[in-house]
Amino acid sequence: MRLPERFDRLVEMVHKELIQVFRDPRLARIVLVAPVLQLLVFGYVVTTDVRRIPTFVVDQDRTRASRDLVQTLAASGYFRIVGRSDRPRDLVEALDHGRAVAGVDVPRGFARDAARQAATVQLVFDGTNSNTATVGSGYAERIVMAYALRQGSPGRSLPVDLRARAWFNPNLRSSDYNVPAVMGQLLLILSLLLTSLAVVREREAGTLEQLMVSPLTAGELIIGKTVPFALLGVFEMVLITSVALFWFRVPFQGSFLLLLPAGLLFILCMLGAGLLISTVSNTQQEAMLTSFLVIMPVMLLSGFMFPVSSMPVAFQWLTLLNPLRHFLEIVRAIFLKGAGLEALWPQYLALLVMGAGLLSFATTRFHKTVS
Amino acid sequence: MSAPAVTVERLTRRFGAFTAVDEVSFEVARGEVFGFLGPNGAGKTTTIKMLTGLLQPSSGRGTVAGFDLAREVESVKRSIGYMSQLFSLYGDLTVEENIAFFAGLYGVPRARRAGRRDWVLEMAGLKDHRSRLTQELSLGWKQRLALGTAMIHEPPVLFLDEPTSGVDPISRRDFWDLIGGLAARGTTVFVSTHYMEEAEYCHRLALMSRGRIIALDRPAGLRAAMPAPLIEIQTDDSPRVVEALEGAEGVIEVGLFGRAVHVIVRDAERARAELPRVLAAAGLAVRGLQVVEPSLEDVFVALVHLSNQGAAT
Amino acid sequence: MRALDPTRLLAMARKEVLQLRRDPRSLILAFLLPVALLVFFGYAISWDVSDIRLVVVDQDRGAKARELLDGFRASGRFAIVGRLERTADIGPLLDRGQARIVLVIPPRFDADLGAGRTAVVQAIVDGSDANTATIALGYAQAIVQQFSARALFQTRRVRLPVTAATRIWYNEELSSRNMIVPGLVAVIMMIIAGLLTSLTIAREWERGTMEQLASTPVSRLEVLLGKLLPYLAIGLVDVALCSLLGVVIFRVPFRGDVFFLMGASFAFLVGTLGLGLVISALARTQLLATQIGMIATFLPGFLLSGFMFPIDNMPLVLRAITYLVPARYFLVVTRGIFLKGVGPEVLWSEGLLMVLYAFAGLGLAAHSFRKELG
Repeated sequence: MRLPERFDRLVEMVHKELIQVFRDPRLARIVLVAPVLQLLVFGYVVTTDVRRIPTFVVDQDRTRASRDLVQTLAASGYFRIVGRSDRPRDLVEALDHGRAVAGVDVPRGFARDAARQAATVQLVFDGTNSNTATVGSGYAERIVMAYALRQGSPGRSLPVDLRARAWFNPNLRSSDYNVPAVMGQLLLILSLLLTSLAVVREREAGTLEQLMVSPLTAGELIIGKTVPFALLGVFEMVLITSVALFWFRVPFQGSFLLLLPAGLLFILCMLGAGLLISTVSNTQQEAMLTSFLVIMPVMLLSGFMFPVSSMPVAFQWLTLLNPLRHFLEIVRAIFLKGAGLEALWPQYLALLVMGAGLLSFATTRFHKTVS
Repeated sequence: MSAPAVTVERLTRRFGAFTAVDEVSFEVARGEVFGFLGPNGAGKTTTIKMLTGLLQPSSGRGTVAGFDLAREVESVKRSIGYMSQLFSLYGDLTVEENIAFFAGLYGVPRARRAGRRDWVLEMAGLKDHRSRLTQELSLGWKQRLALGTAMIHEPPVLFLDEPTSGVDPISRRDFWDLIGGLAARGTTVFVSTHYMEEAEYCHRLALMSRGRIIALDRPAGLRAAMPAPLIEIQTDDSPRVVEALEGAEGVIEVGLFGRAVHVIVRDAERARAELPRVLAAAGLAVRGLQVVEPSLEDVFVALVHLSNQGAAT
Repeated sequence: MRALDPTRLLAMARKEVLQLRRDPRSLILAFLLPVALLVFFGYAISWDVSDIRLVVVDQDRGAKARELLDGFRASGRFAIVGRLERTADIGPLLDRGQARIVLVIPPRFDADLGAGRTAVVQAIVDGSDANTATIALGYAQAIVQQFSARALFQTRRVRLPVTAATRIWYNEELSSRNMIVPGLVAVIMMIIAGLLTSLTIAREWERGTMEQLASTPVSRLEVLLGKLLPYLAIGLVDVALCSLLGVVIFRVPFRGDVFFLMGASFAFLVGTLGLGLVISALARTQLLATQIGMIATFLPGFLLSGFMFPIDNMPLVLRAITYLVPARYFLVVTRGIFLKGVGPEVLWSEGLLMVLYAFAGLGLAAHSFRKELG
């Protein structure tokens, strides 16, 4: 008598919760549309590639030679000419204004000096984005050197040629790295934010009391509140994986069967955290703000966009406490390296321990606040 | 003879295919306590929301405090106080802060603010609670505060939408004493309620059902206008008596009334003969059966029932 | 009958402030979070990759090879953590993640250089973190390039008609903090507008207090401005706070005009807050308001404004969208003021856009907000 009855109640709760989420058509669209939107944006935006640097050209010489040099730079694909002039102060203004990030200043008498082996061309880089400046200036100097060799010593080429190859992810496409990671970010928001709100919404509306008066136990309430979002989370995992595979053509070397449990464990952690937040929030607004205050550091200190290895050592140790970090490692390893359990078991273990801990702590607190 | 405080002419409000308020017309005199009665969904709240400028009428006209609802709604708002059905003051503000806020909104002159604030605190009995957060007050106190803030700018007309729902009877009586006092000093009070006994406190009553006004008169007048005789039956088995008489010949409406049973019949004489037979046939014992004076509740039930029947045929 | 009565406006603003004061989490978001973000971004998070783990397969072991490796060491970006003998060991090494990049110097490196032939050096990078891999390769290329230049100068048989002289402007130390702090100001504005204001109107609807407001003479404009003013003040305080902290603690330069910064921030804030109010007015529940708020203001501000990721790298569609992101223009202003020392004479078009944006935001908010029920 007990088990089927409990099961029935649970199913009812899950059902009610899903109805509430999807009854508002706008909310439903956001749960479905937002992930795809974020995927597209992250997939295409987050990159450290340096290409198409907007460049302003000042050609004070205006000879065949100067035009040749500029053309060589433009043809490389690294530099995109956004303006030309013969006055240096136009260059200053362009860079001051931010219309250009790089500048080329070919001085008067360039061709004449080149014939005497003494020409210089001035390159200017806006140092605001240090990556662009460093890498871009390296490209520019190399191109100028190659050009100079062609002019002065045809048949000679650069002394050292660095040929790069990528192990895993041969095309070094940033989307391959970032798109799978979006899964973590979306699951984070879904599980944490929506769970905390779901419980608090009932408390605010007074319906929580009504539920507690019914035969429903606190444990069943918690399961009823968290299962729908676990289901939604799995759905989103599948959705994101599909978009990643078929739109972005991210390689998938590993096994989805391995990815799924990792996702569930991560969702478990986040559900626990969301539940915890709901025990310290009385209104939806408080829940939302607290969730956001938690989400921000979790996202920033997870290796999602910014590499953990670049952080100060103290912070690197701190990230070990961040479930998102472990989940991201698993996701990226499965997608790109085809890694298996033998390599990833520490991360799985970490997720399991943190998830169990968070959930049980949250449950005890929940019991206290309800009874 | 001064101009009426509220006039309403064929006011109508539709929501899609559903007509919530159907061609309602009436007038409220200055200083009157005008009660609006009706079951849930009758259209009382919708009417009040139209009169306070919260909803636009689908058709019809109205004036409040002499200002036209369609063209001068901002002037209307400055001349009224409003208390909504659900508590709608700021829970996270203290009693005093809520009062000060609405004083500012209604443009109470600075020189008068302290005085008005003290008046509201006194009237609502909240002097000792002025620094408490509003959400910590019990419902009765909250309602008093809402009434007070509605009065902060001494408006000529007050609109109170079910101000006493959920409040205990003693507090309810106090509340109506307050309202009576305000009316005596010249404020027009437009009140909606579904508690029948409160209807007695009003100068005039409008009965509303399914968007229409089905009766409008002083309480005594309404009672006298009882359209059908009322019979009271004392018995030990009221529920089964009700069951037995439902739908019986000559019975318009039957229901419990305390321990007794009230039966609204078409003809008193015939009923006095018929009903005992029906009850005896059902094997039910009856201790007493007589024609009685109707209460307002009985009048109301009869009127609503008849008007629904009329609408159906 | 005035649509903007100062008494009523003041009453609304005071009420908002009272509510804010009693709401600790909003206050934390408004004041502590910006400071926390500043600390994160200024101290913990950056693209400045350093100590990239480099492993060498030196098949030459000559002097020139050592010179090349010295160049890597001296750059401060790479840390040589080991050597391998055989190229076959590279794969397993990278599989285990023991190094991020492996440099293979070919056997005849010295000889080739001396003879004027091109020496091919291989760099095998762990591509699983494409972001740092790209950066690492970029640095490696730059270092190799410098080595090449030196090698050429030492050779007499080469004629180099042209040399390049490079200068770095505005951020000579190439510190990523200088890029981040000015942009962070914009992101923080987005957070305050995207979250806090988007909640405020929706909250009144949900709690029923909007109905009470609707029955009073208060006008729509007064409600909106009354809600906007406190958040505007908070935003300006945050701008000042973050700028101060950035300059004092992180030594970000401040070469421009403070008044222009505050003026542009003011306009940007008004516009963004207006946007937040629009969202709050259209989404009648707080839940919806936050979701829309995050997608419409926070995410574009963070990703599409040029804050961290150059707009020029994005595909055409996204580049077009960035023109609609106000933070993009604000970022030009803040970077101009902090790093470049320019003012309205150069940035007047952005300043004008900010003002237009302010009016548009307010106008839209006034238009979409209806306090009546129907």
